[in-house]
Amino acid sequence: METSKKAAVTRRTLLAASSLLAMPSIVRAQSADTIKIGFPVPLTGPYGTEAKDQVACAQIAIAEFNEAGGLNGRKAELLVRDDKLDPGEAATRTIELIEKDGANFICGSLSAAVQLAVNNVAKQRGVIYNSISQSDQIAALPDWSKTTFHEGMTPHLTAGAVGRYAFSKYGKKVVFLQADYAYGHEMVAGFKAVGEKMGIEVLADLRHPLGATDFSTLLPRIQSLKPDILVLVNFGRDQQISLKQATDFGLKKTTKIVAPVLLYTARQAAGEKAFEGVVGGTSYYWGIESTVPTAKAFNDRYRKANEGRVPSDYGALGYAGVRALLEGARRAGGTDTAKVIAALEGLKYDFYKGAQEIRACDHQAVQPVFIIESKAAGANPNDVFNVISTDAANADNLVSCKDEGHV
Amino acid sequence: MLNPDFVARCKQHRVILAVAFLLIFPLLMPFKAIAVNILIYGLYALGFNMLFGTLGLLSFGHAALFGGGAYACGLAMIRLGLPWWMGIVCAVVIGMALAAIIGAFAIRTRGIYFAMVTMALAQCVYFISDQWVSLTGGENGLRDVTLTKIDLGITTLNFVDPLTRYYVVAFFVAIALFVLSRILASPFGAAMEAVRENEARARACGYDVRATRYLAFILSGGFCGLAGALQALHLSIVPLETLAIANSGLVVMMSLLGGMGTFFGPFVGAGVFLLLENLVSLWTVHWQIFVGAAFVACVLFFPRGIWGTILLGRGR
Repeated sequence: METSKKAAVTRRTLLAASSLLAMPSIVRAQSADTIKIGFPVPLTGPYGTEAKDQVACAQIAIAEFNEAGGLNGRKAELLVRDDKLDPGEAATRTIELIEKDGANFICGSLSAAVQLAVNNVAKQRGVIYNSISQSDQIAALPDWSKTTFHEGMTPHLTAGAVGRYAFSKYGKKVVFLQADYAYGHEMVAGFKAVGEKMGIEVLADLRHPLGATDFSTLLPRIQSLKPDILVLVNFGRDQQISLKQATDFGLKKTTKIVAPVLLYTARQAAGEKAFEGVVGGTSYYWGIESTVPTAKAFNDRYRKANEGRVPSDYGALGYAGVRALLEGARRAGGTDTAKVIAALEGLKYDFYKGAQEIRACDHQAVQPVFIIESKAAGANPNDVFNVISTDAANADNLVSCKDEGHV
Repeated sequence: MLNPDFVARCKQHRVILAVAFLLIFPLLMPFKAIAVNILIYGLYALGFNMLFGTLGLLSFGHAALFGGGAYACGLAMIRLGLPWWMGIVCAVVIGMALAAIIGAFAIRTRGIYFAMVTMALAQCVYFISDQWVSLTGGENGLRDVTLTKIDLGITTLNFVDPLTRYYVVAFFVAIALFVLSRILASPFGAAMEAVRENEARARACGYDVRATRYLAFILSGGFCGLAGALQALHLSIVPLETLAIANSGLVVMMSLLGGMGTFFGPFVGAGVFLLLENLVSLWTVHWQIFVGAAFVACVLFFPRGIWGTILLGRGR
């Protein structure tokens, strides 16, 4: 008897103690008047460099908004979370941002799978999500919903722009070398779509596994085919290694190497030798500031905040994505989801790289694409690309809303 | 410290205690979604621990069972249009079926070879799912596993509401805890421990060692499949990563952290791991250093795991 009494007390004390522990989370009130933008990006993992730059750029959009007085005094706040480049983690973090932190909008992500996961969670809860990474599916049904926005480019748009330029300029005999996963397949489909219209001849469509380190079996084969163009569709480390080996093989003497996307960060990491002469597409390059005044303003602001460095391509998308949401809130006069959607649909803007528009039917940002060529080493270590052509914003270059399944 | 009588009584009523804890648990957590995650990974680790802790078999392929259940639930709902509870049934069945296939090959081996065979077969499942894009969505994973309303006849539950979602998941976890507790307390549970402790002697006593292992593997698959289904419903997606090798390693780590071979250890391990990861990554991107350090400290100083050490201290 004695013992059970003691035990009961202990258990009760334990319960009381645990409910005390729980108190702060109940009491902690959310200040309702800041506009909160949840920003899940892969701070850890292979795209950590790009993700950190996305945060730095997004902070500029927030600072500009707040300096201009916010929305009738309502200030904006960026809630950065690490999604670890994992869709499950990103989904959990997004749920946390919406349910616990009361985020008004979500922006961010840096992978096709992750952005689709974030989009799924946000649309189930009726929260606006502006994605800033490449994907074709996100703007198409069944993934798309009224609350889905896409500031990033699509593989179709990117490959189309690069293909149109390269196939008309460097020749029609083409070899594809792609990393065997979704990114590679989507990009190559985009190149082939535009290539067919231009009458290209595909000499070979080669695939290598993700994370390959040795391309020496593939390169002689490519060399013997004597293509005008080698389209190299891979990313990150794969791209650096394959470019380096292709350079060492002397492939560049006979063949133009073209990549759908040339990243500023990757070029900085790999050095000028491997990348020299390679042509590719980008959503943004700081060098356009000589002709685009908004780019100049954005770069200057970034330089001031980041010790004279310049923003990267994916980073700048973080700026545009957050700024578009804040612009929507400003025009809607609040954060009401339906009003912000109405304000954003068809919005025409020039934030950092020339005229853009949010297509009303699928919320895809119609935007310019820049074709760039990697330079030899120069005096300015930031000056790594030449902008050789600009595809102005044109909705005809995107997949049509009808083909995406929109009515 | 505590009266041994009390400890014994607690052990007897471990399911009731666990359910009582599940009821107040979401209030202790920084947010509900992580409480749900801890439940799901706790259940996953519990299913894994049945094989690892109770039977002494280290599987490195449990992600296939967890992910298999998640995909089964998602596919049943999306492609077959079945209701969500049928999705859960499918997940348990597919989890057990996958375990029956993997187990048929794996239980012939032991030790490191068992780990290798389970890992290899789990990788097969991963790559099938990666390549079969039309069915599984491939690398982009399965999306739109949407469950918003649960119609109970008398009332309708809003599954999007965080606390409701937690209690729905907790309901299934409680059932699983009850079933698992019954299995462990049954003669079959004793047979599993006998095989772990001394295989030759268990065989000499007339136990069919291979059948015990095979059945345990299949049952483990059922628990992991259920955990996978709950994750699919919770996140409304099935990422390809649920089948990845890292997910197999994660559950080993959680079990070791919490205490292998104890009933609640895996839950404690899942909770500590996910909380550490969540809270530390809020203030530094170098969260892995801290989680890793905590793991190393646990292995060095608490070889029985967190829960195992607490039990040891109390039982003394």
